[in-house]
Amino acid sequence: MLFGRSHKNPVKIADKGVVEWKYAVCGYCSTGCSIEVGLNAEGRPVTSRGVADADVNRGKLCLKGIFEHELFDSAGRGTVPLMRDHWHDEWATTDWDTALDRLHDEIRRIQGQYGRDSFAIISTGQMLTEEFYTLGKLTRGLIGTNNYDGNTTLCMASAVSGYKRSFGSDGPPGCYEDFEHTDCLIAWGSNLPEQHPIIYWRLKEAMEKRRFPLIVVDPRVTMLAQFADIHLPITPGTDVVLQNALMHVILAEGLEDRDYIEANTTGIDELRAEVAKYDPTTASRICGIDEDTIRLVARTFARAPAAMQIWTMGINQSTHGSDGVVGINNLSLITGNIGKPGGTSLSITGQCNAMGTREWSSCSGLPNYRLLENPEDRKEIAEFWGIDEEFFPKKRGLFQTDIYHAIEAGQIKGLWLIATNPMSSLPNSARVRKAMEKLEFCCVQDCYQDSESAQYAHVFLPAGTWAEKEGVMTNTERRINVVKPVTQPPGEAKPDLWIFNQVAKRFNSDGKVKFPETAPEIFLEMASISKGRLADISGMNHELLEEKRGVQWPYTEEQAKKGEEPPRGGKRLYTEPRTFRHPDGRARLIPLPFIDNNEVPDEKYPIWLNTGRLIEHWHGRTKTGKIGNNNKYSPIPFIEINPDLCAEMGIRRGDYVRLVSRRSDAIVMAQPTQRVPRNMVFLPFHFHDCANRLTLGLLDPHSRQPAYKQSAVRIEILEDQIEAARLSKEMRAF
Amino acid sequence: MTFIRRENEPEYALLRDTTAQPVNRYGRPIELTDPRHDEPFRVNDEPTPAENPNRYKQHGFFFTADNCIACHACEAACSEKNDNPAHIAFRSVGFVEGGSYPSYQRINISMACNHCDNPVCLKGCPTRAYTKFAEYGAVLQDPDICFGCGYCTWVCPYNAPQLDPVKGQVSKCNMCVDRLEVGLKPACVAACLGNALDFGVIENIPENRVQAKTEIPGFPRTDITHPNIRFQQTRTLQRDMQRVDLTALKYHRDDKEGRYQPTVDPKFGFRREWNWKKLLGSHENAHIAFTLSVQTVMGAFVLMLGGSLTNGPMASFADSAAQLPTLGLMLLLMAFGLFKLNMHLGKPHRFYRGFYNLRLSPVSREIAGVSAFFAGLAGYSFFALFDNGLAAAVQGFFAVLALAGIAFGGYYMYKLYRIPARPFWDHPYTGMSFIGTGLTLGALLLTGLALAYGLLDTTLAKYLYGAAAAGLLLEGLGLVAHRISLKPASSEGAASFYEQTTRYGWPYWLRNGLLTAAFATALVLYLGGSDSPVGYGLLALLSLAGFIISRALFYVVVIPTTMPGAFFWKNRGFIEHAREVGLADMPQLGVAYERHHPFRLDELIATLRETTLQQKIDQFRRIFTG
Repeated sequence: MLFGRSHKNPVKIADKGVVEWKYAVCGYCSTGCSIEVGLNAEGRPVTSRGVADADVNRGKLCLKGIFEHELFDSAGRGTVPLMRDHWHDEWATTDWDTALDRLHDEIRRIQGQYGRDSFAIISTGQMLTEEFYTLGKLTRGLIGTNNYDGNTTLCMASAVSGYKRSFGSDGPPGCYEDFEHTDCLIAWGSNLPEQHPIIYWRLKEAMEKRRFPLIVVDPRVTMLAQFADIHLPITPGTDVVLQNALMHVILAEGLEDRDYIEANTTGIDELRAEVAKYDPTTASRICGIDEDTIRLVARTFARAPAAMQIWTMGINQSTHGSDGVVGINNLSLITGNIGKPGGTSLSITGQCNAMGTREWSSCSGLPNYRLLENPEDRKEIAEFWGIDEEFFPKKRGLFQTDIYHAIEAGQIKGLWLIATNPMSSLPNSARVRKAMEKLEFCCVQDCYQDSESAQYAHVFLPAGTWAEKEGVMTNTERRINVVKPVTQPPGEAKPDLWIFNQVAKRFNSDGKVKFPETAPEIFLEMASISKGRLADISGMNHELLEEKRGVQWPYTEEQAKKGEEPPRGGKRLYTEPRTFRHPDGRARLIPLPFIDNNEVPDEKYPIWLNTGRLIEHWHGRTKTGKIGNNNKYSPIPFIEINPDLCAEMGIRRGDYVRLVSRRSDAIVMAQPTQRVPRNMVFLPFHFHDCANRLTLGLLDPHSRQPAYKQSAVRIEILEDQIEAARLSKEMRAF
Repeated sequence: MTFIRRENEPEYALLRDTTAQPVNRYGRPIELTDPRHDEPFRVNDEPTPAENPNRYKQHGFFFTADNCIACHACEAACSEKNDNPAHIAFRSVGFVEGGSYPSYQRINISMACNHCDNPVCLKGCPTRAYTKFAEYGAVLQDPDICFGCGYCTWVCPYNAPQLDPVKGQVSKCNMCVDRLEVGLKPACVAACLGNALDFGVIENIPENRVQAKTEIPGFPRTDITHPNIRFQQTRTLQRDMQRVDLTALKYHRDDKEGRYQPTVDPKFGFRREWNWKKLLGSHENAHIAFTLSVQTVMGAFVLMLGGSLTNGPMASFADSAAQLPTLGLMLLLMAFGLFKLNMHLGKPHRFYRGFYNLRLSPVSREIAGVSAFFAGLAGYSFFALFDNGLAAAVQGFFAVLALAGIAFGGYYMYKLYRIPARPFWDHPYTGMSFIGTGLTLGALLLTGLALAYGLLDTTLAKYLYGAAAAGLLLEGLGLVAHRISLKPASSEGAASFYEQTTRYGWPYWLRNGLLTAAFATALVLYLGGSDSPVGYGLLALLSLAGFIISRALFYVVVIPTTMPGAFFWKNRGFIEHAREVGLADMPQLGVAYERHHPFRLDELIATLRETTLQQKIDQFRRIFTG
């Protein structure tokens, strides 16, 4: 002790009294971090920590994961089923049987009255895979509507579509370990430090050991763009042009991997003919990247012994989303960068279990990447489930975005929304609101009663969240990991799996379709129909997943029987020649003509509206908006706006301004920063009644994913700042 | 329970210093010696396993500013471990940014306590809630001792101590000494996702790092406290790095010195505003009331005593009927000031702890001095009731006590504002203003009573108006000197001056006008030896208004040398906005309202009961022994 003190003051440090730790995989993004939740003597979850020996996160968590245990008793949770005759009536509490009977009866009534597909089901990427599988079986096997989709259409549909077009199947071929082997990385519209902080940390660890060029394509100077060796501040919506120009240089200068192209792909001639039109000079005028830089990037990428590309919403949420993914795949294929360490085309997925829904929910087809369009797949699953093969539609139905258009047009009359909130998340909220008002029946099943979509519901089913349930999730690198129940859902709320099984009972009175009750049992059923498929999980079970802190697929029964341990990480797809999933085993090189159909700034709406994510928030903030130690970093909507534009318009730091688009308006606080150009504002999408009041969301022709990131707005000064503050506060409950 | 270390803690979380320098860059030994070395180190009243071989070395954080991504993982890990509500954070990340699109740079700075060699918090804290332990050199604070005056939050240049307006107490970074004891780095370091934050024996440069600077833009100068933090920042930054919060500051590169200096950034233009509500409605009102009333009474007392010396101008006043009401009024004013000050504490019932750090804290000394003055004044007044030789002698003793209280308390009242981390206050003006206030308002107090009792003859008027004019002159000269020194300065003080002349531009000029008019009036009244009640009324009004605005400005525009904030978080401007428009009603916003705290008599009685006589004696002894 120093400073002449004769007495030691006591040292007091908070002690949460943890007596037990329970294992789960994180329920926020798709990184797939292993978490342990600490319980105190009363069994209350009081703390979270990263699992030290998990290969994905190696003991780390981001700020959302660190406070994930606070979700369980966060505000707005639903605790009891609710019902009402009309959405403008008051809610009345009810019991589960009444609520579920009503759901069953309304589905059958609407289907009987307007046809089988007039009732739509929209789920999510948030639930557990066993729940997705059960919901898929219920929907495809018993309810029989073809208008069944997940909100993954809003985030990953373009990646799915692009992978399917290029490789013949969905399924990201790379893994996080690729960072440790790559010699060049291009990040397309992906801001890892903010969107996927743990994946960023893995990248950073790799870069501290071994420097390699980092090239970032992003119209905004994100932290990753700042760290980039080469930052390409591209004109929004013109990625395909840049990709074509890069391929132009590679092919013109003979930098391509001819042997790989020869052995593994088809379509090089058509591709060559298309990209010939995109010489760097021409391309630079469209995409805003100068021709020398285009050449430098093309050469750097093509000459790297192993080069990888990652992307996220900057590519997917565009009218050329699927094409952008194909363009990335094209670049990887012509340089031989698929299926080798450090050479990959890795879609950084969005939601915690977006991959699980892609693999198992039967939204876009049938379980494990089976297709409705494929008679053998229909037959196999119909037999396995014990239903009539003819009950399956012969091609997939509408995507989520198109389902809403069909509600608008009066073709769909009833809707079951599960763990998703289109009132916040779909583009052009005014249009969504109108559609919701028109529904004859809407059931919202969510862990949060204050999910804004519930205002148009006739039945509300309170569900468990995350580690109140048991099951698995698949992450970006195809790693399946398990969630164990840490605690019980609050009040009368029930796990989604229980709800699906109860609904299934009502459609399955003769009991001909089997619905196992527990997640481990369902997992084994799924495993049994995964044998020999791309996503073969037949060697896995829940115990193994917890023991190994997740296992990447494929891991087969054969491997398990041979005693072959699943690798800690580093598992890739398409590592052998000609193993792509097109019938000939070859990947497709697909030419990508560029059609500019974006809403671009003009005289009336002169500013680009760019939307995106903040690290502290998750989607519509139903979770993070209630956790103070997440929410406080950005508690109200704001725009990043260029200070020069502010000076010109007389906007002061912290002023509220009104953004106006051709759809509607929004009130936001101005945060001047040179991070964005003078003709662009960046608006986080998390806030209800804000970004999506403005977005146009033109749909990608292949993936039907909305182009959230390319709209045009104008900015108006608000004279009455006090009134603006009041409105901004009133427009959302949290 | 002590911290439980897992068997498989990851490598990055482990402390791994194998060597240490003998002395740090400030010339102090890194090995810390402590006469009480062998007393066990206890956390939560449990002995900790004595395993860490580097326990008695000064440790500190190492921050690679090049790498920070502002992911908030450090802040979250810290708040999670310490169970802090949203509005309190021992560690915070702020930004500075510069350049033009797309050549734009943002530097994120994660900052907690720097466990300084010269912990000004420890020295400033009147309650002795702070200890600098030889164990790790950790500066630890005990909220159960703290009475919530917030003085540590004034003196710390890094905004490390956190005053919780809800609990009414301070708490701060504890270096995770429980983790250190089991060989683990602090929770924030283990959580870092940018490989920016590290920790170890001070002056050791971590693996893969090459620099150990003490300067990055936005980080205050190090000579105030000798902080135990080192930086790496190798990327070339823009010439101007701006703060994104609403504080009118940026950091400008001084090519000659090779470092960034805080410079005014006129974010809100040069429009003058009134902002009465903010000016007079601040939580610092208690300080305005306390300093003004105590200085008035002190001034009045000195003038009264000085003027009562043989044949002095106050001699007849002292014998008159006016004396007792005057003393009564002075006592009342003192009581009011002390009451306002005490009730402004987060824990008013712990008032008695204000003396605890008499050895080091100017606040303790101020409180001791002012209390002595109050006691002297009370005794002096009481014995004024008696008219005999003994009473006069005792009264004389109390007068001396009161004068000693004025000298000691008055000096430390001034001294406690000479805070290097608050450049706007750290100027002789502060002292000139305090004396000026005492002279002017003290004189006017006496004048008012003299007028009321018909005692204001020419001599007395000249004496008192002369004092009032002198006080106003002192305040005026102080203001001019303050302005001259601050306006061109490269410091937070210049930003304070900018705020003073823009956001509070009209009150500022009104104050200047009022004081000038008051001075002119006082001069006229002095020269004329006037006994005009109208003249007096005018002067009293002008002076009082002038001094109240002056003192309000003093508190409201001060800008500490704290770390830059973010756009919402740790942005003083947004915090004020959230309180004004009611956003702060939402607890998850992370902004709590300022509030007053009750005097918990029950708690005071419980403390009195629960502490043994021996403990009370020890506590008293430590006021002098430390």
